[in-house]
Amino acid sequence: MTQEIRFNLNGSDTVYTGNPADRLLDVLRNELRLTGTKCGCKEGECGACSVIIDGKLINSCLVAMGSLEGAKVLTIEGCTKTPQFAALDKAYESVSAVQCGFCIPGMIMASQCLLANNPHPSEAEIREGISGNLCRCTGYNAIVKAVGTAAEEGNGLW
Amino acid sequence: MKTISKSVPKRDHAEKISGSAVYVCDYPTEGMLFGRLLRSSVPKANLLGVKLPALPEGYIYIDKNDVPGTNEVWMILKDTPVFADKTVEHIGDPIGMLVGPDEREVDRLLAKVEVEYEELEPTFDARQSSVVFFDYGYEKGDVDKAFEDADKVYEEDFETGLQEHLYLETNGVIAHSKDGKIHVHGSIQCPYYVHKALVHALGMPREDVSVAQDVMGGGFGGKEDYPSLLACQAAVAAYKTGKSVRVVFGREEDVEATSKRHPSFCNYKVAVKDGHVTGMKIEVLYDAGAYTTMSPVVLQRGIIGAPGIYTIPHLKVHGQSRKTNTVPNGAFRGFGGPQTFFAIEMMMTHIAKDLGQDPVDFKLRHVAKQGDLTSTSGKHHFPVPIPAMMDAVVKASDYYTKRAAYKNQTGRYRKGIGMAAVYHGAGFTGNGERDIIKAVAQLRKDREGNVEILTANTDMGQGLFTVFAKIVAEALSLPLERIIITYPDTARVPDSGPTVASRSVMAVGELLRRAALRLKDEWVDGQEQLIEERYKHPEWMIQFDLETFQGDAYPTYSWTVNAVEVEIDTYTGNIGIVGAWGSFDVGTPIDENIVIGQMEGGFVQSLGYGMMEKMTAEKGRIRNNKFSDYIIPSSVDFSNLQVMLHVEDYPEGPFGAKGAGELPHVGGAPAVLDAIENALGVNLNKIPFVAEDVMNTLREVSR
Amino acid sequence: MVTSFTPRSLDEAIRLRQKPELTPYTGGTDLMVNPNEDASYLFLHRVPEMKRIVEDGEYIRFGAACTYTEVIKHPLTPNILKEACLKIAAPAIRNAGSIGGNIANGSPKADSALIFMVADAKLRLCSAGGERLVPIKDFYLGRKKLDLRPDELLVEVLMPRHGLDNYYHVKVGARNALAISRVSFAGIMDIEDGKIRRCATAFGAVSDVIIRLDQIDQMLDGKTISEAKELKSAYLSAMDEAIVPIRGRVGIEYRKDVCMNLLRDFLEVNGI
Repeated sequence: MTQEIRFNLNGSDTVYTGNPADRLLDVLRNELRLTGTKCGCKEGECGACSVIIDGKLINSCLVAMGSLEGAKVLTIEGCTKTPQFAALDKAYESVSAVQCGFCIPGMIMASQCLLANNPHPSEAEIREGISGNLCRCTGYNAIVKAVGTAAEEGNGLW
Repeated sequence: MKTISKSVPKRDHAEKISGSAVYVCDYPTEGMLFGRLLRSSVPKANLLGVKLPALPEGYIYIDKNDVPGTNEVWMILKDTPVFADKTVEHIGDPIGMLVGPDEREVDRLLAKVEVEYEELEPTFDARQSSVVFFDYGYEKGDVDKAFEDADKVYEEDFETGLQEHLYLETNGVIAHSKDGKIHVHGSIQCPYYVHKALVHALGMPREDVSVAQDVMGGGFGGKEDYPSLLACQAAVAAYKTGKSVRVVFGREEDVEATSKRHPSFCNYKVAVKDGHVTGMKIEVLYDAGAYTTMSPVVLQRGIIGAPGIYTIPHLKVHGQSRKTNTVPNGAFRGFGGPQTFFAIEMMMTHIAKDLGQDPVDFKLRHVAKQGDLTSTSGKHHFPVPIPAMMDAVVKASDYYTKRAAYKNQTGRYRKGIGMAAVYHGAGFTGNGERDIIKAVAQLRKDREGNVEILTANTDMGQGLFTVFAKIVAEALSLPLERIIITYPDTARVPDSGPTVASRSVMAVGELLRRAALRLKDEWVDGQEQLIEERYKHPEWMIQFDLETFQGDAYPTYSWTVNAVEVEIDTYTGNIGIVGAWGSFDVGTPIDENIVIGQMEGGFVQSLGYGMMEKMTAEKGRIRNNKFSDYIIPSSVDFSNLQVMLHVEDYPEGPFGAKGAGELPHVGGAPAVLDAIENALGVNLNKIPFVAEDVMNTLREVSR
Repeated sequence: MVTSFTPRSLDEAIRLRQKPELTPYTGGTDLMVNPNEDASYLFLHRVPEMKRIVEDGEYIRFGAACTYTEVIKHPLTPNILKEACLKIAAPAIRNAGSIGGNIANGSPKADSALIFMVADAKLRLCSAGGERLVPIKDFYLGRKKLDLRPDELLVEVLMPRHGLDNYYHVKVGARNALAISRVSFAGIMDIEDGKIRRCATAFGAVSDVIIRLDQIDQMLDGKTISEAKELKSAYLSAMDEAIVPIRGRVGIEYRKDVCMNLLRDFLEVNGI
């Protein structure tokens, strides 16, 4: 049985016709071919699949499609078009915060959400803001630094 | 800092941060078959039969009978079967593979497969195992005399546990079969290792098989040996079906079925005379798991490093790796080093305490100096910068003040500070580079004057492509944009060896530098040119004999000193990391950001190994198979972690660079354990050491 | 047949709850870990009564579909609950997971449920046949067993408005974020005019259900601090006997030690 679910995806009105019990992550990756959102664990523990739903950071692996009726979903593909992304991009690049990169789209979504809610975070607040996004490569220092730099350099964007 | 060390944007930055990088799981799957492995549910058994459900059209089962060449995965030895033959040797041992066009349907069908076993008595404890895979040993000086002459003899046992790589991207490959040729690409650390295995298992000519690396979500050694097995399985399926076959693991399967760090058991006997260590007898045992995979070389590195960074005049070191009916343990950053370095660092600390000396002072008095004989009677050809690095870390961490202040605490929260100093031997052990790897690297110039780097080395996120490009650009005095480097495909790159052993920059980077200098000399505008360089063994190295373990095991060493401060909640056992300081010498950093990123990331993994990452198995079944259950550090666990670089140039490395990647994973665990000892006023002998261990220790102390 | 419903009112939600095939879904953070592709969900995040936090004379009323983030940010939320919710997982989970789900999945590790237990909160359960108010302690019948009828919906959690300020809370996890409780403890010592009005403790993640030994806690009710001191050893030994942990990711001995250490500390910080 399929059901029509209407939501906004990266600024475009979208109709999903399928099983409402499907995971958003699977639909993004397999059906909509938006593969920037990564799958690391499918249990909400690693954060690689983070997206922003109605302004909030959410693990897309734990979202049933049926719950999205009327929602606004932003993925990394939509995020890259924003000036906020440009600031994060530059800041991450300046400290070489991207290693294997698999956690990074999720990390960017977490950074974006954090700064949207708190444009001038302390280091502790940055660490807290990305605490649901596990990274096995960097030890986090570079990422924390990058978010801090983005907040400074991108002053006024958030 | 040299100009080359100044950081540049990483080559893979843009595609990864924007989400546009294509990892193996990101390829469109139209027309592909999905493969799922049928795995043993028992640890040891004779395989009596497999009963399949009725398979719908397009769904095919593949097993050992479908392997067109030899049912062996050629790693170092060939004992790992592509698919189980007559027996299964561990839970998860692959028996066959089910492939079909719908992944969920494959899963549903797989759940209906019945396997008939005749169960046999398994072995889970390496100490009880009678199957010795490898047995090595060496001696130095006259160890018996040292023990006879000793004032005091110490003996202790040490244990280290499993560690899981937990790279964010699971293992995965796609195998294509077309026109009688096989092409496999995926999350592959060493394309030529996989190539060798495929040629053997498929029985095909070398030129009909090619292997390419995709953008890779981390490896840490976990994709060094394992992809050879997985690629063979997927390739056999592609060969049989004539279609493309994709196998990408889910997290639980990846954790349960792929390699880990070898658990170890070490026994140290130490002779001390006049307050100085004169001799050691060391017994090392590594749990190899069910098949040999990388165990011989892991064990070699383990026993060579067993006496640590110290010059010990009289030594007898013996090591074995034995079989157990558990998942094969393989390569993991540090590669046999972290286990014995943990043991030696704790041993030295415990002796110092017993002698009433500060461990740092005691260790400094034993540290090797330039010109000293190494454990294997090779030579420390280059300066050993440990004293200066120790000094830097002592100052940064305020070690002595804290160490003294944290003695004899009694309250709920107790602090401690600890220190460890270790090395990582850079590159392959012994003559491996010369006799086994024989690396070849090429530079290809096009008519426009762009230069492409052709090597088999992989960028798993560690920044190798950026570093290689910088080396070539610098040597050629060309802008970086003119240097091209892409993910390697064995069809078009020479075999420059695997991306392992902290060798890529030091060994292959040097080949590239030399090739670039030659190209610069021979440069002709408007012409295509190909320059090839081959590995040259440093002539000053003392021949290493793998039979006797005598000679230079490594041309040079990377060094690190780590300090860690903890605060322990004695009501809950919680171990908080207050601070962590590390000084690292990897020679000249080719890119400062990249090296610091490697050091920070490795240091954090090493701390995790010491006090967080606990993996237990019950009757051969791994319990901690999820992110929520196998605990790796988050961003809020080790907040105050500081990395310093010390530069001791290596003249044979490009611009003075030596091995980097593995070094930071060696010292964190003993440093944090020393800190815990300082806080609790006890001696400890095992990692990981977690909250429950703290409480057990406190309970024992109070009894 | 797989189909889902997103009711916009409580009446509609309760009516739909009569369909036994529908699984109530608030945040999804638990249900979707092992999703059932044949499941039909009753999405509850659009039911206004289940998404609000209000107060009446006696209670702060938390809609069961409120997320941890909503609870944390709300000015009516008592600090003890705020603090416990902040220690749950990480921001993305707190943005989705709901207190109703935390209670109704029946886990003894549930971090917000621990606080509702120590506060002796009540659960408002509604069905087409009417509604009832159940003390949360009575709601948990055993391992994953709840006093919840198949046609009932957990609509609100009613937390007493007063007497929660003097609290003690510790969550022991294996790391500082993204941690499932290995042991958790909450205590409330409501003291007025030198007398203990109410002593309450709850122990999470040690047994099949959150342990709430109110009869033992009541030993201290109505006592002065010095009277309580005299009762301390009797109180502690009663607790010691009654707390029987089971083995999980950590052992029985560990759980017991931590429970007793934290309980003693809870008394000590209150001068007992």
